[in-house]
Amino acid sequence: MPVWSGPGTAAHASSAAELRYRMNYPLAPSRGVRVVALDSGAEAVVRQVSKSGWNKARFYVAETNLNTQGIQGAPVEVVLHGFDGAVASLNDELEDVDSTIMVATSDFGSEAAATIGAACSVRGIMTAGLVLGEDTENTVSALRPYAQVLLVPADDADLEAILTAMRAK
Amino acid sequence: MLRQEINELLTKTGPGTEMGDMFRQYWIPALLSEELPENDCPQVRVKILSERMIAFRDSQGRYGLIDEFCAHRGVSLWFGRNEDNGLRCAYHGWKYDVTGQCVEVPSEASNSRFCANVKLKSYPLVKVGDILWTYMGDPAKTPPLPEYEFALVPPSQTFTSKRLQESNWLQALEGGIDSSHVSFLHSSGLQSDPLFMGAEGNKYNLGDYKPYFEVADAPGGLFIGARRNAEEDSYYWRITPWLMPSFTMVPPRGDHPMHGHFWIPIDDENCWVYTFDYQPVRDLTEAERQAMKDGYGVHSENIPGTYLPVRNKSNDYLMDREAQKRGETFSGVAGIAIQDASLQESMGPIVDRTKERLATTDAGIIKARAKLRKAALALRDEGKIPEGVDPAHHRVRSAAVVLPRNQSFIESVSDKLRAQPGVRQASV
Ligand code: FES
Ligand SMILES: [Fe+2]
Repeated sequence: MPVWSGPGTAAHASSAAELRYRMNYPLAPSRGVRVVALDSGAEAVVRQVSKSGWNKARFYVAETNLNTQGIQGAPVEVVLHGFDGAVASLNDELEDVDSTIMVATSDFGSEAAATIGAACSVRGIMTAGLVLGEDTENTVSALRPYAQVLLVPADDADLEAILTAMRAK
Repeated sequence: MLRQEINELLTKTGPGTEMGDMFRQYWIPALLSEELPENDCPQVRVKILSERMIAFRDSQGRYGLIDEFCAHRGVSLWFGRNEDNGLRCAYHGWKYDVTGQCVEVPSEASNSRFCANVKLKSYPLVKVGDILWTYMGDPAKTPPLPEYEFALVPPSQTFTSKRLQESNWLQALEGGIDSSHVSFLHSSGLQSDPLFMGAEGNKYNLGDYKPYFEVADAPGGLFIGARRNAEEDSYYWRITPWLMPSFTMVPPRGDHPMHGHFWIPIDDENCWVYTFDYQPVRDLTEAERQAMKDGYGVHSENIPGTYLPVRNKSNDYLMDREAQKRGETFSGVAGIAIQDASLQESMGPIVDRTKERLATTDAGIIKARAKLRKAALALRDEGKIPEGVDPAHHRVRSAAVVLPRNQSFIESVSDKLRAQPGVRQASV
């Protein structure tokens, strides 16, 4: 079996010394991440995390209305309230987005989750659910069909860590 | 990405570092018991958590793990003589017992008290199952011995191997948590490996490349559930436990043995991968045991007499582009363990996590890092003993189950995620 460590081999290429030749250039941030609090318990956590200056993440609280626009399969219409008081429609806010993170402390937001999940699914946007608090069972079943990843239970540090890992700064 | 200071906190495990202190709260594998097979057998060099030691077994069968270097003039005791209840330095004959206590200094007067005052630092070394475990922390806080199921079942039901991985421990561990890579990197193994093939669940694995994940916090670590479509009304769940700091189990397949890993830092750029396979309720068959020894399943074929894999970075892991083209392997590297090792070593000794771009499906890795960091800081700042030290936490199992679509793994199979003596594993 050949044993040598010339410049073309893994032994050479994966050394600590070679790591410094890893190309260095500005890395693109995430296209966009949306973080939606589905209930008032989640709102406090999302508001807190939103304060640390994320260039590529936007934060909202979801409000549900009866579905007058007739989005298919969605029981309700979702309006997004930003923490600056701005109000936006879900459709507008899902432009150029990679992932949507739904944050919930109860199953209160299950209808909103269904609508957001359906809207993300048609656009190929990944969805994650952060389940906060102790009593997680109902929240989990409310979010499960609509979130590709669920963290049970999660805390505000997890939200920060996920946004950082996705390069939402 | 991960901030550089967090990357350093998590990857450095030498004395006095935060993660180093974390590891020093636990009983961790120091070596395989086969490395010290009999009384007075040759001593073995051991380096873990960036500390160099010598392990030996004395004439009475007692195990010792002591400072590698003689207190006299710093010679390595690997060159010493293991004889008559102690390790004697080859240079001037100073002799030490398993606790590191110097018991003889031949040049001193025979009634001298000189050696009573000479002691090498030592750690306890205890055999549980096929492993010799050590605890490198404060002796006053020594926890009860480990109770991982693979180490407690009868010897006929369990097998452990070990291999060197030339990378930091964390990127190796993260591979054990990252179950979405299995359908790619290891796809061929599901169809051909004697320790994997033929399980009912494999077809679900290969039939759905976009699993959903549920990352459930648990005492001691996490359960990471990967859910794939099974039948019309059911999901196939593969559930991976991770225990702090570095124990993972792979979800089982059919009646094949259950397996998992310990990822133990040697220093900041190398780690030992301990790989175990066991059956909770039956003996391993001869064929299973032979396949493990031959490097199938999650084991590795090692260079005889060493724990260095035959396929390693000095020979490009015997990369076979033809086999890759023929579809026999996804990456061109043979064997599940070495497929992982080759990629994890290719990242460099300590991967630069500031350059990563993680996706939602990496949530298990993100959560594990967060838990490790939190625990390391709580230990440093409040002296809080981390989760996973308590042996009750060790009694976990992985599982592979088919559940109705409306059921959650954490609620419906929680009993199956606990090690229960005499109860078969939950596996399809
Ligand atoms: S696809 Fe995951 S590291 Fe390249
Ligand atoms: Fe793997």
